[in-house]
Amino acid sequence: MAKKYSMIINLAKCIGCQACTVACKFQNKVPEGQFRTKTPANGLKGTYPNVSQYFIKEACQMCQKAPCVSVCPTKASYYNEDGVVLIDVDKCVGCKYCMTACPYDARFLNKETGAADKCTFCYELKVSKGEKPACVSTCVGGALMFGDLNDPLSEASQFLAKHKGEVRKPELGTHPNVNYIYEGVVK
Amino acid sequence: MNGGEKMKRRNFLKGILYGTGGTVALVGGFGTFNYLGSEKAEAASQDLETTVFSSCEMCRNQCPIAVKVKDGKVCKIEGHPNDAAFGGVICARGNAGPSLLYDPQRIKKPMIRIGERGEGKFKEVSWDEAYTYIADKLYNVKDQYGGEAIALASRKGPHDWFFRSIGKALGSPNVFSHEATCPMTRSVALETTFGNEAIAADYANTKYLISIGRNWFEGIHVAQTRAVSKALSNGAKLVVLDPRFSVTASKGEWLPIKGTTDLAFVMAMANIMIRENLYDQAFISQYAEGFDKWAEEVKDKTPEWAEQETGISKEKIIRITREFAAAKPKAILDFGWRTAYTPNDYQLRRAILIVNMMIGNLEVPGGYYTTKPANFLKSYPDQAAYAKGLGSVAQPSFPKASKGRIDGTGVKGTPGQIIPTYDGAVGKIAESILTEEPYAIRAWLVHRFNPYISLTGSTKMIEAFKKLDLLVTCDVYMTDTAYFSDVVLPECTYLERYEPIFDMSGLTPKYVIRQPAVPLVYPDTKPYWQIYKELGEKMGLGDYFKFKDMEDYITQQIAPTGLTLAQIKELGVWTPPGMNAFYVRANDSKASLDNVLSNQRKKIEIFSEEVEEATKQGVPKYISHPQPEAGKFRFVQGKVAVHTNAGTANVPILNELMPTNTLWMNTVSCKQLGLNDGDEVVISSGTYEQKGKLKMTEGIRPDSVFCYHGFGRISPELKRAFGKGIHDNYLIPHEIGEVGNAVTSTTFVTVRKA
Repeated sequence: MAKKYSMIINLAKCIGCQACTVACKFQNKVPEGQFRTKTPANGLKGTYPNVSQYFIKEACQMCQKAPCVSVCPTKASYYNEDGVVLIDVDKCVGCKYCMTACPYDARFLNKETGAADKCTFCYELKVSKGEKPACVSTCVGGALMFGDLNDPLSEASQFLAKHKGEVRKPELGTHPNVNYIYEGVVK
Repeated sequence: MNGGEKMKRRNFLKGILYGTGGTVALVGGFGTFNYLGSEKAEAASQDLETTVFSSCEMCRNQCPIAVKVKDGKVCKIEGHPNDAAFGGVICARGNAGPSLLYDPQRIKKPMIRIGERGEGKFKEVSWDEAYTYIADKLYNVKDQYGGEAIALASRKGPHDWFFRSIGKALGSPNVFSHEATCPMTRSVALETTFGNEAIAADYANTKYLISIGRNWFEGIHVAQTRAVSKALSNGAKLVVLDPRFSVTASKGEWLPIKGTTDLAFVMAMANIMIRENLYDQAFISQYAEGFDKWAEEVKDKTPEWAEQETGISKEKIIRITREFAAAKPKAILDFGWRTAYTPNDYQLRRAILIVNMMIGNLEVPGGYYTTKPANFLKSYPDQAAYAKGLGSVAQPSFPKASKGRIDGTGVKGTPGQIIPTYDGAVGKIAESILTEEPYAIRAWLVHRFNPYISLTGSTKMIEAFKKLDLLVTCDVYMTDTAYFSDVVLPECTYLERYEPIFDMSGLTPKYVIRQPAVPLVYPDTKPYWQIYKELGEKMGLGDYFKFKDMEDYITQQIAPTGLTLAQIKELGVWTPPGMNAFYVRANDSKASLDNVLSNQRKKIEIFSEEVEEATKQGVPKYISHPQPEAGKFRFVQGKVAVHTNAGTANVPILNELMPTNTLWMNTVSCKQLGLNDGDEVVISSGTYEQKGKLKMTEGIRPDSVFCYHGFGRISPELKRAFGKGIHDNYLIPHEIGEVGNAVTSTTFVTVRKA
């Protein structure tokens, strides 16, 4: 049965330490100055001394209805058998249509390959071997979870059964596979 | 670009990576990063990825790691998967290790200064020339002024056994760690209260956690950060006292306390707990002494008084104290892990320990515990089977120093009496160079330490460097201190060397190895043990280094444990199989603590005779430090998750994530001064000024300004970090606190538009 891989980001537990950011760079050999994921602070809210802040991990949202896939003229951007949005570097001509189409600003032109690049959930190097994406396995705060939502027994399914997962920009109908948990943070 | 071209490019870059030192410099900031093939090609590669278990050194904590090696290169670093405290996790700095390893800006050859100090002119020399130069100069100083005129300072670590042997063999008593710039006041408090420095907090099992400036989520110790995170997930309450809204503060209740008034909060807690009878009287009467003197001292430290001092409402102080006491004994008032705020910071740390003891949280889950190395377990029949201690490599005894230390450490009847002799007051070195009091230091050996950045009074530090007959720095980069040195020795990184087995015991014994993952990237760099062994041999001190190499050293060290070198190499980290976390009072609240309390009286010394003798304050007394007048700001500093103090500002990927710091100022204060977010400003502490960029924020007290530590580097050889950001210690005048500690938070500054 096909998988429905999802990443769950529990914002209350994220400490913005950037271990994920660096782990991704080495796992995926992302060139200097470029990032597949980053975890910036979402700004400080409130007025001294009543303030709050959280960090929000940014990367490809793994849309099930992905604008980047629809606009790609060479079919370089595609869904794989497990619903993960990937890029075939050999087919990519670097036209940047996908970068414009992506509502999450998750893509960039890799300055080494010249091809569009983004988070892959570490599909080839980790997930297809039964391991977790590099960011998830190095998460210091324990904010990241990863699993198959088609498997009701997976940690991810179990967690989402008890906690409300929200996707970014749901109004766009892109149906992302990255779920954010806002419990315990001031949105 | 077609596929064929891509392959060519890949092979070309691969060639560079396998090249000699000269061509490696062509590789960009990320070393191994810069060749790219498609992930499919990567996945299908015939080269097997291997794992080498070792320990990290991107900071001092030595976390166990799994180093991934492919094609002869370190490609990735992960946390050790088989150590439950780490669970495969490592922080951003730990992840960034390969970026240091392959950094072309590392120093690659021994160097001797040829220009004026600070001019940056060096010639590359052979190791033999460097050793000869150092040996001649050291013997000159020893002959002319005595061995005591030689000082040694290192960032505390496993290198000390080797590094310090040089100084001690020359008869110098002036051997220092960096601890005075770190939590030495805590060590003093532990030693004078329990007779035992090796006390740790069991964060994972606590229900209530109060931080006094401790910042687990930016000053990251992976195991402790994960433990705090686990406690919060299990519903623990977190309260954070800090003038600045740190990441840790954002995960709990933030109390923006007035700087340097923390002791008032702690004393008020004691006052409330006594008045409302919330403390554990049975525990105090069984294990402690001097409680009556403490009760007398806090009698008038009411919540109303503390509200005036701290700026935190009395209602909050009372509520938090009640909540803390209600959670006893699974509650922790954290003893902190940072450079001292004030000259008498050790009394704050002692008061914190006393309030903890008032809830009887020693040697129980969720409280404090002494670490449980093998020698500790021997006294417990049901634990003795796990007591497999490390051996040591024999050394002849060192000559007795003919003079006392420059910092008065160990002198009875003075504060020096309670300064830990292993650490000393490292700030005293520059003072003694400049004032020649009590006598002059003429030669200074520095190992993996950067006093210019790490100690206050940076301007004086440069003056001191310039006055020395000899300054030697061993490091991986041309640090600011190295830049002013006569001899610079290039150490290899932790990913290229063996080290003695590290005793990392916590609630069980734990041993961690550091072993090379790859051969030397720059062939003329060396591990510290080899550097000091060879220097010692050159100086005729070879008897102090009786081991063939580090494999031999480790073999001698682990012989008593029954482990072999091959086994520990394979495991990376070892803890006695089958042993559970051991708390002495877990099942018997009246169990003896005689093994935990290593002082003579076998008591928790709330009143300490020793402290009374040394400082006339046998119980902590409150000293009210001045608050900034209008127009001035208290200058506070802290840590950030992607950097390690003076250590990582130039590490490529970490520099990329955070190349500089800013000065945080409250929005209201900015408006009063007509300043805006992003303005270039001049920060002045009177004599000293630094330029920086302003960050306007709601996350700081209006009477305080803040910057992250470790920036404002003056060595042009740190090409990425040079000249960027604010150097906090440049602004803070040199001052040595009561127990030898550096002082960080009593400086006031003004800020104006640049």
